[in-house]
Amino acid sequence: MMPEPTIGAAPSCACCREPAVVYQPESRRYLCCSHFIRYVEGRVAGTIRRTGQVQAGDRIAVALSGGKDSTALLLILSRFLGDRKDVSMVAVTVDEGIAGYRSETIRSARDLARELGVEHLVVPFTAMAGADLDTLLAGRETQACTVCGILRRKALLDAARTAGATKIATGHNLDDEAQSVFMNVLRGDLPRLVRDPGFNAGDCFLPRIKPLADISEKEIASYLFVQGRFAELPECPYTRYALRAEVRSMLSGLEYRHPGTMRHLIESKQKVARYCAGIREPGTLNRCRECGDPCSGEICQVCRLLHSLGR
Amino acid sequence: MPGYLSTRLPHYYPVMRIVLPDQSIRNVVQGPVSVESLLHSLGINPHDVIVSRNGTIVPEGASVGADDEIRIIRIAHGG
Repeated sequence: MMPEPTIGAAPSCACCREPAVVYQPESRRYLCCSHFIRYVEGRVAGTIRRTGQVQAGDRIAVALSGGKDSTALLLILSRFLGDRKDVSMVAVTVDEGIAGYRSETIRSARDLARELGVEHLVVPFTAMAGADLDTLLAGRETQACTVCGILRRKALLDAARTAGATKIATGHNLDDEAQSVFMNVLRGDLPRLVRDPGFNAGDCFLPRIKPLADISEKEIASYLFVQGRFAELPECPYTRYALRAEVRSMLSGLEYRHPGTMRHLIESKQKVARYCAGIREPGTLNRCRECGDPCSGEICQVCRLLHSLGR
Repeated sequence: MPGYLSTRLPHYYPVMRIVLPDQSIRNVVQGPVSVESLLHSLGINPHDVIVSRNGTIVPEGASVGADDEIRIIRIAHGG
């Protein structure tokens, strides 16, 4: 637990004694605004360098939903890569068509891309699926996150390819990654647990990079807030149906009581992945007979889903 | 529930005004208390929120009290 504060005394930064704005439970230290910004940006730069996520010649498609994670991602990448002549960026926003939710975040995405001078594409679900998500989900709302996830990945991949991108950057943070590990364990999905999203399988997939994977969701929100960039946006109305919502709540409680839980969970996954390295998943990689995308059977997941939705 | 809650306090009584994540407001008569204790008393996990005092973000160890306006902002929005 955190050091007990003296009532009346403001906690001060561990680096400079200025008033603190955040407390980091794992390292048990307080940081002021400027040292916290430096910490977050340094940590992301370290992740990118350590994992070689950005190479000369790369064109990065940044998945920009307009929410806090993708906003922080585009801000930080613009600061790092904006001056590099050998790397370019394009922001891609997928408009799922969720009433009362998406229009505000899309406006936020547009404004940010314009402010940063980043090329921006908005891709509507209707172009790919023939209808927006609300229409597709009528009567099957409990499947929302599965349906949305599959179609959103496909829309993002197609837009990134069209834009000539070599990689897709997403705003997944430490909490997201820990939740995914736990959900894959709960589902007994070992192949997905150990799969490397950065893997480049020829022309089949675009490698995905996650520069914020080492930063907690709370740190991202705080990073935006101290710069006056945190917007309280509406919550996705389908969130309540998601397994992720339950996992998030449980892990969040554990992280508070036992700081480091999420990081340990991710490290466990990485160890398992190392043990499984070299073991191939059963089955061969085919091409979907309908759309030509890579898949393990005859028809890919997206085409199968669209059929089941009557599209 | 922290301190003494009332919507009928005399106007001169120093209160802490708390804006909760759902935008509802509570006026609380409360001596200095840490942000962490305040969140506990409201049944909120500090990991799920950021807290501002008079517009400035404060860590869990900061103390808050009378005449402060506290905003508790939930950080998770996705699906």
